[in-house]
Amino acid sequence: MTSSQRLRALIVDDEDLARRLVREYLQGHDDIEIVGECDNGLDAVKQIGALSPDLVFLDIQMPRLTGLEVLELTGRRAGVIFTTAYDEHAIKAFELHAVDYLLKPFSKARFDDALARARTLHAPAEPAGAGLDALVARRTAPLERILIRDREQVHVIPIDQVECIEAQGDYLAIHAEGKCHLKPQRISQIEEQLDATRFLRVHRSFIISLVHLQAIERPGPDRHAARLRSGKRVPISRSGYEKLRTLV
Amino acid sequence: MHPILADPRRLLWYELAWLAAGVGIAALLRLTGQAEWSGALEFALPICLVWSFVAVSSYYVCRSLPWSQRRWPVALGLFGGVSLLAALGWLGLGEAWDSLGGLLLRGKPFVALSSPGWMMYFAAGFALYLLSLLAHDVLVAFESVQAAARREAESRVLARDAELQMLRTQINPHFLFNSLNSISALTGFDPAAAREMTVDLAQFFRRTLALAERERITLGEEVTLCGHFLAIEKRRFGAKLQAQLQVSAEAAECLLPPMTLQPLLENAIKHGIRQVDGGGTIAVDALVRDGTLHIAVVNPVAADDAPDNAHGVGLKNIRERLAVLYGPRARIGWQRSPTQFAIEIHLPVDKESGA
Repeated sequence: MTSSQRLRALIVDDEDLARRLVREYLQGHDDIEIVGECDNGLDAVKQIGALSPDLVFLDIQMPRLTGLEVLELTGRRAGVIFTTAYDEHAIKAFELHAVDYLLKPFSKARFDDALARARTLHAPAEPAGAGLDALVARRTAPLERILIRDREQVHVIPIDQVECIEAQGDYLAIHAEGKCHLKPQRISQIEEQLDATRFLRVHRSFIISLVHLQAIERPGPDRHAARLRSGKRVPISRSGYEKLRTLV
Repeated sequence: MHPILADPRRLLWYELAWLAAGVGIAALLRLTGQAEWSGALEFALPICLVWSFVAVSSYYVCRSLPWSQRRWPVALGLFGGVSLLAALGWLGLGEAWDSLGGLLLRGKPFVALSSPGWMMYFAAGFALYLLSLLAHDVLVAFESVQAAARREAESRVLARDAELQMLRTQINPHFLFNSLNSISALTGFDPAAAREMTVDLAQFFRRTLALAERERITLGEEVTLCGHFLAIEKRRFGAKLQAQLQVSAEAAECLLPPMTLQPLLENAIKHGIRQVDGGGTIAVDALVRDGTLHIAVVNPVAADDAPDNAHGVGLKNIRERLAVLYGPRARIGWQRSPTQFAIEIHLPVDKESGA
């Protein structure tokens, strides 16, 4: 590759020494420019949005947000090199989806290797990483918290607070503690990630939390609705009612 | 399930014993001139076979009075009473079989005993049931000894498992590989620090391996181990991690199970310091008051961080371990405020003899 265009890299790791090592390994590569460093996941989400770097060195186990959550929030699917010391689940997922990763401690040769691969993948014709897409979508179910990005803010909603989730076009409206958050995702996708013993899809466009369910009402013949603890009412379809009956 | 009925070999020996008893009774009747050999045998053997199945009930009588809770007057009264009742049944069975069975098979009773003869037969029934009770009692005692031995073996295996589990968690791969990565980074710009960190890492693992084999170590030894651990973690997390250990001289001499304090520090870093922007200080206080060793570990936590399940699991493991070793004499409690997590452990003071 010619170095007419330099690659802009972001280093994300909560340990100073680990970032320093990546910096040192990058020294010999003139075609790469380090544009920033982050020591936690939240900061990484902001920096990726602000700098849109070509390459991200991303640690998995970080405070605030894990590496995979950073990808989910930023929608980034290419130009990522994961680094991790030991994470059996993550490594299995990487292998499954053919995603490149560096196991700490790694040698300079292994690092250069990963870099060379990232450079070829960066060629503009290359499609976005399908492996990463699958990796992020099927990440550690069941979901423990829902992450929502609102411009530069990231909201973390513990799953226990979620009352119901409503599909609104390309978005999900997530109702929790009297607030409503919008997140770009399909309802069938989040349904797969949720704990099936706590959440139920009662309607084509509604998922309710069984913990927040207070009563099942019958506003008309053959029509049902769920009343939640907050007082909110959610329609229940016929098949949803069948599912609910077997559970409650 | 009944130990004799459940085991064909035992049942065979049991029935043979009863047949022998039947022969004995026939001999008694013959020798006392109550009956002829053939009649006496035809009379006694079927009765003993049938009665053997009644006599297995004595197992449940014995089980109802376990050895450990047995008061002898009660046991004697019960055994005597039950045997007397059984002997009445035995008498009824004998008379019925003699008259009916004899009439059907021979046209006349087998033995047609006199009153003293029936008295003798009744006494034999009493003695046989009592004998059966005693035999079952021995069997029950034997079983309980075996069960106790099995339980002891099982608990030894459990203890061994717990120890292996502890070693495995001590050699935490995440800690090891991250430390090696830090050393790798240090070699580039600070070789002296890299060497120090290598030595700390080696010391930490060497001590862990040595201490884990022992049942009890002094708090002082544990604190030294924690010193190596903290030195490594400080290199990794830099100024983010501060630690203040205050251990009184008396507390340092107290004995406790190895790896009691170190996992608490590891938790405090993983779930506390690491999650807080700018880090903070872990405070450890250990002192002896009123014959109790008090250890407190306090660390900051991120306010918006949901309480972690993994944290709770680790603490429950420690609680279980202390409960196994000390029973109700050890206590561990923890509480979380928005910005702080505090753990307190109370152990009975235990010092090396002569120390």
